[in-house]
Amino acid sequence: MIDSFPFDEWSDDIGGFWTFWSEDKTGTYIMTVLGIIVMLAAFAYWVWLENRKLAAQAALLRAAGGMPAPGGIPPGPGPSQPPLAGPSTDPGD
Amino acid sequence: MMASLVGSFSWLLAQATEVEDKLSLDSQILAEQFYFFTVVIMWLIHVGFMAYEAGAARRKNIMSTAIKNILTIAVVTPTFYYFGWYIYGCFEHGGPAQGHAGPDPEFPGFCGATAPWADAMGPNLQDHVSAVFFLAFLLFSWTTASILSGALIERVRLSAYLILGSLLGSAVWIMDAAWGWSAGGWLTTRFGFHDSIASAVVHGVAGAFTLGVLLNLGPRIGKYDLAGRARTFRAHNTHLTLMGLMLIFTGFYGFYAACLVIQSTITPGWLNIYLSPTTLGAIAFVITFGFAGGFTGGWIASKGDPFWTLSGGLAGVISVSAGADVYHPSLAYLLSITGGMFAVYVGTWIERALRIDDAVGAVAVHGFTGFYGVFLVGIFAGGYPTGVNNVPVSFGGQMIGILTFIPLGFLPGYAASWVLKKLNLLRVPPEVELEGLDMAEFQQDFFPEFERVPETVVLPTGEEVEAAPILLEGLAQTNGHRVGVGVSEERRTP
Repeated sequence: MIDSFPFDEWSDDIGGFWTFWSEDKTGTYIMTVLGIIVMLAAFAYWVWLENRKLAAQAALLRAAGGMPAPGGIPPGPGPSQPPLAGPSTDPGD
Repeated sequence: MMASLVGSFSWLLAQATEVEDKLSLDSQILAEQFYFFTVVIMWLIHVGFMAYEAGAARRKNIMSTAIKNILTIAVVTPTFYYFGWYIYGCFEHGGPAQGHAGPDPEFPGFCGATAPWADAMGPNLQDHVSAVFFLAFLLFSWTTASILSGALIERVRLSAYLILGSLLGSAVWIMDAAWGWSAGGWLTTRFGFHDSIASAVVHGVAGAFTLGVLLNLGPRIGKYDLAGRARTFRAHNTHLTLMGLMLIFTGFYGFYAACLVIQSTITPGWLNIYLSPTTLGAIAFVITFGFAGGFTGGWIASKGDPFWTLSGGLAGVISVSAGADVYHPSLAYLLSITGGMFAVYVGTWIERALRIDDAVGAVAVHGFTGFYGVFLVGIFAGGYPTGVNNVPVSFGGQMIGILTFIPLGFLPGYAASWVLKKLNLLRVPPEVELEGLDMAEFQQDFFPEFERVPETVVLPTGEEVEAAPILLEGLAQTNGHRVGVGVSEERRTP
């Protein structure tokens, strides 16, 4: 199957689409639009993820019925909320 | 005989053309290398901003502060590539240029070359300068966002800062650069506006934008007592802050150099951003004497406070940057002493009289001294010819620039942060602010092997006391409401 893919026949077209050397700018326009969409999506994700983290921590602190010492580590070992950042530490994963 | 002479002449002509082409290529490659290495040096500005702000933060907010500076690069780079550079190329006459011919007669194709799909904005063997010139401006853009960053620490949401920083770095400052920091900008060509190393263009406008944001963001919990007197939060590591400032200063030499134009086969030597002649040595004199005078002024005005002494150095340089291509070193020294002193006085006034909590004094150091620098050029360099049309510098022209740039910086900052505040996306919840942002953002303490000691705060009387009762009282005063949001406003929002 892979041997039948016409790399040599299409390589100029593919290279011209993805890189700058071709006169045809279609690929450049498409990548520009895609880049802008991904950039905006990243902004939206930043807002959403941070909002989730802050809301979870604020709810946890309110539910504790009292504030920890300002700047202090909340009681008990480990993080004060399920990790929302970083790789999973669940050995089952 | 005649045929032999003609043949020799043709051969000589071909040789001369070949030498000229090689010389031109060499010149372009030298310019390419020059800008590339200014970019490398300017990275130190951002290393410095990160260390500076992280050191100024309390222990509970170290990483949430530092990560802002790193993610500045993640957001300002694409936004500046897709939008900012085009604004610089095509908005020199106020609004967008018609077509891509560009309004600048010196660079007729520059507008079209700044679109993200242009040949100049990617690999191009025929163009050794456009890409590195863009990169130098990109680093300036990161700097404007970093100026905003420090003022907001310990209570702003990371995502809110990233949005505001992108707006400042990729739209606001580059608009003023198009108007007053380019050979074809309307402030340059009509009024001889002169701000050669970007006192107001970068620093002043970023400071005005920051002021607009701070008005909506509000102070940190516990910053002011009920009488409105300012308390002081102890920086967790002042050494780190000072090292950060020294790194910023090192990077400033790259910033200064990148503000010049060099391409020896087109221009006779170094030019400033308006294409008026200058030398690298002239600006090196001014930046160095600017630091010397600024440190001196900061030391005198703050009576030896280390933070303000070094901030005075930054303020000193910014206050002489606008005239760095024309000032005598002694004049730069004298003016930068006043800049360093004013930064301390204005910073204290903003904190105590206006009750605006600017955590690192950015509005005073960058905003005030940025515009002060442009003002000084109107006095001390009046009549100096600016730009290719030799429009003389004038006090009136400098004032028009200042009166244009202050609202251009302030209004977008105020409006954008007002919208974020209304959406409850500007500031972290008060409980999280009290505990520290690092626990909410990263679920960890970043000095895990060190025992925590009680957080302290310095009272207006100078007495240092345990912070907990004061901060809890400050939290109680919010009554669970979001700080910086009026109670009546909050009742209207879900």
